[in-house]
Amino acid sequence: MSIRNTIPPAIPRRQLLSQMGAGFGGIALSALLQEAGSGHLATAAPQTHFDVSLKQPHQAPRAKAVIQLFMHGGPSHVDLLDPKPLLTKHDGGTAPGEVADDENRTTYLLGSPFKFSPRGQSGIEYSELLPHIGGHADRIAVIRSMFTEHRNHEHAIWMAHTGRIIPGRPHYGSWLAYGLGTENQELPAFVSLPDPAGLPVDETRNWSAGWLPPVYQGTPVRSVGPPVLHLHPTKARAQNTDAARLAFLKELNERHKAARPGELELDARIKSFELAARMQLSATEALNIEQETLTTQRLYGMHEDKTKSYGKRCLMARRLVERGVRFVQILMQGQPWDTHTANTAGTKDCCAQTDLPVSGLLTDLEQRGLLDSTLIVWGGEFGRTPAAEQRDGNIAKGNEGRDHHPYGFSVWLAGGGIQGGQAYGATDDFGYRSVVDRTQTADLHATILHLMGLSHEELVFGRNGRDERLTDVYDAHPIKALLS
Amino acid sequence: MVVAFQTPPIVANDTQPRKLTFVDDVLPILTSRCLKCHSGNRPKAGLNLSERPLVMRGGISGPAIRVAAAQSSLLWDRIATGEMPPQGPPLSGAEKGIIRTWINDGAINQAGEDGEVIDSHESDEYPLTESDRNFWSFRPAQHHKLPSVETSHRMRTPVDSFVLHSLQQAGLNLSSEATPETLLRRTTFDLIGLPPTPEEVTDFHQDTSPDAYERATDRLLSSPHYGERWGRHWLDIAGYADSTGVLGADYPLHFMFRYRDYVIQAFNQDKPYDRFLLEQIAGDELVDYHSAFAQEERLSPKIVEALIATGFLRTAPDSSREDFNTIKNVEALYYYPTINDQLKILMSSTLGLTVHCAKCHNHMFDPISQQEYYELQAILMGAYRPKSWIPQMHRRVPEATKSQLDSAKKHNDQLDAEIAERNKAKEVLQSKYVQLLAELRAAELPDSIREDVLLAVQEKAAERTALQSYLSEKFQTLLFPASEDLTKTLSDNYPEYTSNVKTLDAEIASRNGRRAVFDEIRAIYDLPGDVPTPFLHRGDALTPGHLVEPGVVRVVSAPQQFAWDRPTAAVPTSGRRLAFARWLTQPSHPLTARVMTNRIWLHHFGRGIVSTPDDFGRAGELPSHPQLLDWLSIDFAGHRWSVKRLHRHILHSSTYRQQSAFIPATHATASQQDPENKLLWRQRLRRLEAEPIRDSMLFVGGRLRKQIFGRHIPLASHPNGEVTNAPNTDAYRRSIYYQVLRSKPLTMLGAFDQPRMKTNCAVRDQSTVSTQALTVLNSDQTVNAAQAFAAHLESEAAKNPVSTAIRIAYSRAPRVGETETMTAFFESQIKRYQQLQKEAETAPEKAPGAPRFQALTDLCHMLLSSNEFIYID
Repeated sequence: MSIRNTIPPAIPRRQLLSQMGAGFGGIALSALLQEAGSGHLATAAPQTHFDVSLKQPHQAPRAKAVIQLFMHGGPSHVDLLDPKPLLTKHDGGTAPGEVADDENRTTYLLGSPFKFSPRGQSGIEYSELLPHIGGHADRIAVIRSMFTEHRNHEHAIWMAHTGRIIPGRPHYGSWLAYGLGTENQELPAFVSLPDPAGLPVDETRNWSAGWLPPVYQGTPVRSVGPPVLHLHPTKARAQNTDAARLAFLKELNERHKAARPGELELDARIKSFELAARMQLSATEALNIEQETLTTQRLYGMHEDKTKSYGKRCLMARRLVERGVRFVQILMQGQPWDTHTANTAGTKDCCAQTDLPVSGLLTDLEQRGLLDSTLIVWGGEFGRTPAAEQRDGNIAKGNEGRDHHPYGFSVWLAGGGIQGGQAYGATDDFGYRSVVDRTQTADLHATILHLMGLSHEELVFGRNGRDERLTDVYDAHPIKALLS
Repeated sequence: MVVAFQTPPIVANDTQPRKLTFVDDVLPILTSRCLKCHSGNRPKAGLNLSERPLVMRGGISGPAIRVAAAQSSLLWDRIATGEMPPQGPPLSGAEKGIIRTWINDGAINQAGEDGEVIDSHESDEYPLTESDRNFWSFRPAQHHKLPSVETSHRMRTPVDSFVLHSLQQAGLNLSSEATPETLLRRTTFDLIGLPPTPEEVTDFHQDTSPDAYERATDRLLSSPHYGERWGRHWLDIAGYADSTGVLGADYPLHFMFRYRDYVIQAFNQDKPYDRFLLEQIAGDELVDYHSAFAQEERLSPKIVEALIATGFLRTAPDSSREDFNTIKNVEALYYYPTINDQLKILMSSTLGLTVHCAKCHNHMFDPISQQEYYELQAILMGAYRPKSWIPQMHRRVPEATKSQLDSAKKHNDQLDAEIAERNKAKEVLQSKYVQLLAELRAAELPDSIREDVLLAVQEKAAERTALQSYLSEKFQTLLFPASEDLTKTLSDNYPEYTSNVKTLDAEIASRNGRRAVFDEIRAIYDLPGDVPTPFLHRGDALTPGHLVEPGVVRVVSAPQQFAWDRPTAAVPTSGRRLAFARWLTQPSHPLTARVMTNRIWLHHFGRGIVSTPDDFGRAGELPSHPQLLDWLSIDFAGHRWSVKRLHRHILHSSTYRQQSAFIPATHATASQQDPENKLLWRQRLRRLEAEPIRDSMLFVGGRLRKQIFGRHIPLASHPNGEVTNAPNTDAYRRSIYYQVLRSKPLTMLGAFDQPRMKTNCAVRDQSTVSTQALTVLNSDQTVNAAQAFAAHLESEAAKNPVSTAIRIAYSRAPRVGETETMTAFFESQIKRYQQLQKEAETAPEKAPGAPRFQALTDLCHMLLSSNEFIYID
């Protein structure tokens, strides 16, 4: 987990500059710096205008959109995606070998009560709790060797979303919007679909653009009631009066602009009003799932109370990426996967809400030919301990919980550019530590950017004299084995 | 691919061949032949050759070298084939040899290093070079004579001499003077953040005296709203917020608003900028709060003011709570980040330096060492101590002296005793009446069972016989009503009981009301005793190194050295901050005056003389008018650091007063030679910031309340995600008075890029997005503002609402044909609403309201939405 190796530049930048000055002899250092300032140094002439128009990727993209299925609370890897027969065998026994000192709240080993079985051609094992997702085994690449750097929810969420365990950085969805822009200017580039029942842990920061300009932050879209803030006025306007207003506004603005040639900002703002007007129609249309057949709705589990809410958001996500939205995030209320007590029941319940809808999303995308260009990222901020957790000195026998576990856990990817039907990396025999092909979050992020046609090293944002990256100081690499 | 090469001359001391090093041997070659393209933030092909780890990382084609395998290293391949460098002669055989040998030797950095060592530039020894010391911003400002310029009729203030001089050198000139209307609108927005009223425009027009404009600027500079406008600029760089939020919990700060009011007041009073800084950094030490606290009866207003000022050093995010001491590695995770953020705010706001880079390693661009970073940190260490951290919610400074606190304690203790007495009396009273009631009820029992019942209920539950249990169950609540019914039962039976209790309660309430409480101040103060400041290797609190003493950045050539002596044991404050503030505010400090001058300039021209106002170092931009910046800075520091004087130099100049319009015919040369308008051949078109946009929308409808100062107005989130002022609070104050929550900005302000305070904000972003348009078109806030505007027109200008609307919204007279176009819209819109009304007769609940008022509201709404409303020429 050491990240030290990549932090230090061996030669201080300033020393280098003075050497360059000396190297060029007669050329004054200031002149040199001036030249550097025009193209090289970070904060030269600060860019103050930002938009989401289409940008050129660094390389040919494999996917055009990402759907992040974020599982707040940290799903239990050993119950879902990472079968551990030895853990089951030694159920109730003591943990073998070294266990981190911050796991002292855990006690005896807790085998998974759930059966795993091989699925698809590839025979990758999935838990019985994921009967539907398991049906897509050949499309899915499970990473079983993830690890993160913090055992608190918020810190680990920041890591998963923004690449570091500190607050205030941009979500990778914001980086994608910044780096690529978006194909459909009538919809936001980054849409977040929070649970209508309530916000997840860390609330609105889940879709924050951090220090990237606000234009790259996620737009929360509600799946019940008016979908976007101020999409329509509180009191509806008649179509003809509204059209007349906008025509009048355009007239005012055109007259104003005519006396100010060359001011591109004025054009941009005129355009933003036109887009807003179109967005009123397109967002309403995009989010109108009534247009979907009953068959499709059932595919997402919208006919069942248990799956209805998550299913609806999955279906909305499909409609959004279909219309060119770059990044969609689906969130659950609170942190349902945080099964400190009654892990069995809690995990079962989360799966009951999500397994069918997620499977429906994969099927629907596939059927519509969208899966090739849509990357699905499923996972939480960490995994859960293979041992039972004791709360206040007690253990609920037969109703055990699992604690937070940053040292080894699973996530999965499917869709655009992903070689399905594989399990990448591994934890040890008991699911404690990532040991084979250890995967840091920065590698996962680099992979996502790579699939979207971006280099995590080139996608930078100048700030405070420094070029910021999603992967920050990490020595990160896209995971080649995952790519098709 | 094998290319012949000569053995390079790398033999030291004639005999022992020494190992090549990156710095001594390789880097000079790269520097002269490669780095022009392969360095900086956007190196060609993503390959940065300026530092060894970056070489290892490589570019888009992959790692540039494979250690000890030159033949399969891309770097060697490109050089060997002559593909690189693409310009000039190929590398010489010797040069190629050095590179090849260096790679094959392991591509190491220095002998004994594995090349990935960090501590190599974590040095205490940090030699400053001549070029470091001579970097423009580290040298004191120079006195410059006003340059002579060819034509003098545009010369109004020294600003013009410098600007005209550089324009004329480029063969350019100023644009012509803006119209009086444009100028007044620009100046009024610049100084008070609101548009001029039609009356002010008329007055200005009619004032033909030669100094009409100067008097207009004086009027605006002495407006109380000037401080609201310029205070807000300062709050941006101070990182002001009314909450501390780091985690999900974004704790409100109840008394931070006093600092906001202090800033507004300071600008209004034209408080000398040196004093402004002294108070903010070390107000407590400056006015000797600690002696006053210990010895005086009351804190003088001057002391209170200085204490409030130090809120400046309490702006960094800090969510610390008492239970944080259970968090593993809490210093590194929470406490140091707060100190580092506060130091960043202090340095970027006052010195325009980005010192935080030096937290983990020596600064990459500027000659600031990691050692110096921790010396600067030591200045704040008196107050922020990771080892004995005060959770942020416990940092409360009451506005009181020790004697006041003591007597308050005495007073409150006395009240508490009196309250306790009365509570006791209430208990006695109650038990007395409970007993009376029991006796009364018992008397009503049949004689035959009275004795048995009384015995039964008095017996311990466990020892009751079966009969006794039965009796007690049956009669317990009759004799002794359950507590929830007790009060009522007693008062039904004994009215005098109720009145007695009421009297006691009133006595308690009156004592609670007389409790001595004090307002609080969000101030910085040192904790008692000395504190060590460790150098942190790699910036990591888990790897502390040697201890450092307070100090400043050595490369900044201030005439007076930073001077601080460790105080003798007994003093209550260490004097570190005051020593720093004194060093900072010396008149010839190279940075202090320049940085502030540049900020003032920035808000009058939309761009600073240095376009990176928080970075005057090497990664920042060089000044466009260095001599002008020096002249203004020296004048500023030399005239009691008066900000208003600085405004006048700028505002009165022809440079400021010129037109902003780009006129293709006139500006053809200028736009080619200086496309970014750095030389100022025209003013700049600027968009208003969030606060003036919201304030003006309210102002034109006559809704804006102009009350200044006061506790922040709380915010509330609505189910749809919108954040507005809380229910039953004032919706019409100026934006600066609304609570600033880090986690959720007021929607209307957030939409227009009000910064979310992570640390601080030197230059605001400016976004133009369709969600902004949706807010303008559809939010209740703007709809209400438009209605208020329309209502205002109906009552004030019913005869000619359209032309009046233009005068109010745009602060100018209608142009030819404009009233007609707008009237045409107005009338056709009235017709549309009339039609709708007719159609709605069958369904009256859908009637849209009075057609004329609806149409006028639409007209007003579109004026508020228009570009002209939110851009200033």
